Amino acid sequence: MYVTYYMPNGSQASSELFENLKLELRRGCLTLAVLTQLRTERYGYTLRKALADDGLEIDEGTLYPLLRRLESQGLLVSQWREEDKRNKRFYRLSDQGEQILEQLLAEWQRINASLGKILQEA
Amino acid sequence: MSKAKDPRELIDRYLQAVRFWLPKSRKQEELIAELGEDLRSQVEEKEAEISRPINEAEVSEILKRCGAPMIVASRLGPKQHLIGPTLFPIYLFVLKMVLLWIQVPVFLFIVGPVNLASSGGNWGVAIAHTLGNLWSALFIAAGVITLVFAVLERTQVFVEINCKWDPSTLPPLEKQEFKTSSVQSVCDLAFGCIGLLWLLLVPSYPFLIFGPAAAFVKLGPIWHTFYWPIVLLSAMNVARAAIALARPQLDWFPKFSQLITTALTLILLRFLLDAAGVGTGLNWHPFVMLADNLMDSTHYLKIVAVVNASILLGLVGAWIGLCIAAPIQTWEFMSYLRKRSSGLHQIATLRVL
Repeated sequence: MYVTYYMPNGSQASSELFENLKLELRRGCLTLAVLTQLRTERYGYTLRKALADDGLEIDEGTLYPLLRRLESQGLLVSQWREEDKRNKRFYRLSDQGEQILEQLLAEWQRINASLGKILQEA
Repeated sequence: MSKAKDPRELIDRYLQAVRFWLPKSRKQEELIAELGEDLRSQVEEKEAEISRPINEAEVSEILKRCGAPMIVASRLGPKQHLIGPTLFPIYLFVLKMVLLWIQVPVFLFIVGPVNLASSGGNWGVAIAHTLGNLWSALFIAAGVITLVFAVLERTQVFVEINCKWDPSTLPPLEKQEFKTSSVQSVCDLAFGCIGLLWLLLVPSYPFLIFGPAAAFVKLGPIWHTFYWPIVLLSAMNVARAAIALARPQLDWFPKFSQLITTALTLILLRFLLDAAGVGTGLNWHPFVMLADNLMDSTHYLKIVAVVNASILLGLVGAWIGLCIAAPIQTWEFMSYLRKRSSGLHQIATLRVL
């Protein structure tokens, strides 16, 4: 069996690599977190607040395209409604979203358990 | 008295700037409304926190944290690309293929010589014309290829191809690039020595080159000038094989020495063809001629003419072949240098088990 090592040069490349990998790692987790939070109806800002309160900061430029994508995939439904004299777009999980979320959460538990096992062994 | 400016106006100005960078659609308005709502909620929260109306500096701080309008618009808007990540490697491959491996050689070996001939042998004009034509051709070809791939991207033709592909149609494994084996180096050295010896014996034993025809054919005077340079080149090849055998760790040497040998052979061939009178309009100097005692034999003269024509064709063919080999060898050597300098030589392969 052969193992190939590549030595990158410079800490800048290393930090860039870390940022890219972190972004990849976060991407799937964010989707799961957003879907879970939207079991309760929320609008954009309160959703961001709820996520941030639980330690998952997400900026506007990431959240709104994600909401739009999830809605176009049929996992969310949205509605413009007036609240406090302002128009707000409220999101919640669709029926299909509920089913997919259950499957995703089961998958998440499985991955988490496997990862925990791997990390214990290491 | 002028009315004090509302700090919230900054939010509207910000949204206007974001709107400018978003593609015009119904979704654009929804995105702007949603972003505006988010920002106003942040302002409200801040006001609740500080128990007073927000000032412009504090609004500005919120907007700065949100990001520059153009960046925010790029994140909010649909992902736009001319050629997507699926097609991009194929696009790059086709671009390289057409520009580097088709257009450049065509201009180097066909358009260039044609321009040289039409400019009456003026190298400066020919090079300028060829470079001008090449630049336009590269530009147009790159544009057309990009356009075709942009259309393919929009029509999603490759999605269908992806569904239909068959693993059995995959190309066979490429041969891995190994260092020159010692067996090959020994063979190179042995055949190089035999060739050099043969070359040294030819003047004394013309039979070695002409066979039975040595009775009525002899080498032309042109070889008096070129014999020793050819011997020298042959000796260089022997030395090259010997060094490659003795120092296999010099992995740059075979490629580099091959390139040098090709360049020297090209120069020698060029001088040889010029000296023979090819393309110079000067008197023709034959490569072989009739032996002194047969100068008036018409039958043998025809044979000599055929032999001369064959040698000439062979030399011209060799020259064209080397003209093609030289850029390829240069490319290979440059690729080798690039790999070395990019640190790929640092890849460490460890045998674990």
